[in-house]
Amino acid sequence: MRIVIAEDSVLLLDGLTRLLTAEGHVVEGHRTADATVRALTAPDAALPDLLVTDVRMPPSHTDEGLRAAVHLRSLHPRLPVLVLSQYVEQRYASELFAAGARALGYVLKDRVADVDMFLTAADRVARGGTVVDPEVVTQIIARTRSTDLDRLTRREREVLELMAEGRSNSGIAERLVVGLPAVEKHVTSILDKLGLPPAPDDHRRVLAVLRWMEQNGDRS
Amino acid sequence: MAPALTGSMGFLRAPVDGATWRGVAQLAVGAVWLLTFGLAVWVCVAVSLALVPVLGAGLPLLALSLLLARGFAATERARLAVTTGVAVRAPQPPVAERPGWWPAMWAVLRDTRAWAATAYAFVATVLVSLACWTVVVLAGVALAAAGFPLYGRGTDLAASLGAPWSLTVAGALGAAVVLGWAAAVVAQYGSYLTVRLAVSLLGPSAAAEAGVRARAAERAARVAEATAHGAQERAAVLAQTRAAALEAADAERRRIERDLHDGAQQRLVALGVDLGVARRAADRDPAAAVAALGHAHDEVKATLAELRDLVRGIHPAVLTDRGLDAALSALAARSPVPVRVDTAGDLATAGPPAQAAAYFVVAEALTNVAKHADAARVHVTAAVVPAADGAPPRLRVVVADDGRGGAAAAPGSGLAGLRGRVGALDGTFDLDSPTGGGTRLTVEVPCAS
Repeated sequence: MRIVIAEDSVLLLDGLTRLLTAEGHVVEGHRTADATVRALTAPDAALPDLLVTDVRMPPSHTDEGLRAAVHLRSLHPRLPVLVLSQYVEQRYASELFAAGARALGYVLKDRVADVDMFLTAADRVARGGTVVDPEVVTQIIARTRSTDLDRLTRREREVLELMAEGRSNSGIAERLVVGLPAVEKHVTSILDKLGLPPAPDDHRRVLAVLRWMEQNGDRS
Repeated sequence: MAPALTGSMGFLRAPVDGATWRGVAQLAVGAVWLLTFGLAVWVCVAVSLALVPVLGAGLPLLALSLLLARGFAATERARLAVTTGVAVRAPQPPVAERPGWWPAMWAVLRDTRAWAATAYAFVATVLVSLACWTVVVLAGVALAAAGFPLYGRGTDLAASLGAPWSLTVAGALGAAVVLGWAAAVVAQYGSYLTVRLAVSLLGPSAAAEAGVRARAAERAARVAEATAHGAQERAAVLAQTRAAALEAADAERRRIERDLHDGAQQRLVALGVDLGVARRAADRDPAAAVAALGHAHDEVKATLAELRDLVRGIHPAVLTDRGLDAALSALAARSPVPVRVDTAGDLATAGPPAQAAAYFVVAEALTNVAKHADAARVHVTAAVVPAADGAPPRLRVVVADDGRGGAAAAPGSGLAGLRGRVGALDGTFDLDSPTGGGTRLTVEVPCAS
């Protein structure tokens, strides 16, 4: 597939290009958020199958990449975007997922070093799925005040975290090495305990879970 | 000089007490002096005073008499200092408001202390004469009474007393003791009163004394105020340097964080990617795998070099291991611009913070020279210099180049950070960089810091 990468570090851009090219993808790299936005909004521009962008980019090295991603998603809601962040920031995640979780990923930059995981995440996002870094989920859960969480069993908490990361029921079953019916039972129980509506597709479910966590999060 | 008669033992010892003999001597000398000079003074004053309404020529005479009274007062103060040990301070005579003989005369006429000296001449003459003669008479009669048993037997006087001889002897001796005592008491009190009189009439007036005290108090207050002001300014400077030091430390931490994030961490991520590529390619494309491993190897070496630089920026190992001298040589060796390093004194006597500050000053200065100065050569000197007025020695570092000058410690710059660091050590930071005239950075920090 065709992948656009926005990354200011030459090293990492080179590494990712080599990796993805070796995997048979067509890669186009940009060193700034502006250049990326210009390239993707040109009149004759064809949208890529996936946009991978760093959060921290020139000129101010704060959140240019994230702004660009949010902007491009508002123009093309179906554009798959995988955001790489130097560190976990719940606010970034909330901003990113505010408009929908379909074909969207938010992972720590360090995960790129875990090549298999990165390639899986890229593939999942490109196919319309959702990926949320486990670190982000852990942090959000840690900040969630609701006593509702206390009513979950340990197994249910594990399932909740994997749901928030964007995994499907079968993905969760595979990860926890349990049967699919068991996972389905846990998911129903969790949604019931947290008062969430049953959602058929994975990314809608992620969004509901994240939103619930955010509403119950300690924003102080 | 208080009389020695206070307390019962003093009273009993009065005739043989040293104070008595000093009193007698003072009264005897005083009587002679006062009856000549003293008498002359107040007679002169009295006569010229009497001539004022009569002829008018009395005024200059009066002034001269008062000058005479001043001179007399001076001799009296000297005499009392010698005979009694009591030093009476000389009053400050009023100064003429304008030049000319009339203001000068007027200044003398309104000198209240000269008038007081005249009064003293009169009162003291009477007092000292009376006391002196009383002592002489009492002592003489006491002597006569003491000797009476030797020569009085069979005299008319003894007969006229009409008492038995033994009783007469006892009475005479008793009288001698009582009279001797009385003479001692009069001598001591007479001398004491003379001194009191001199203190109040020959010394500065009470108002002048109060003025002197007030001025002294005012001076002390001014000194205290200046001290307080100095302390306040010092506190402000310390607060400022403390804030600058915190800011410098903060900037340093931010720099390290950025360096780690953008440097080592990125390289490690890229390294991970390369290794991942190599692993995935190992089976199907060994040549690609080897190329990726080569990349990874280069990445590891670059990461190590970067970490070494970063660590050196935090604290250079050479400074700890081999001292400032060697560390400065290492800096000079790394500089692209030729550097000459001169050191003086034992740099090892400077404490670790002072040495570290000196090292980073030179490091930053040399970096700036290489980047901006366009210089042909740099001269670095480091010396332990003994500070003036016994203050502890200081470590002085000078970095001078022959480049284009115009350097400034702009806020947020490396130089500003160094200024904060130096300020926190109570050091001085002096940047002299005229445009076109080279740059000279002089930093001094206390060795003990």
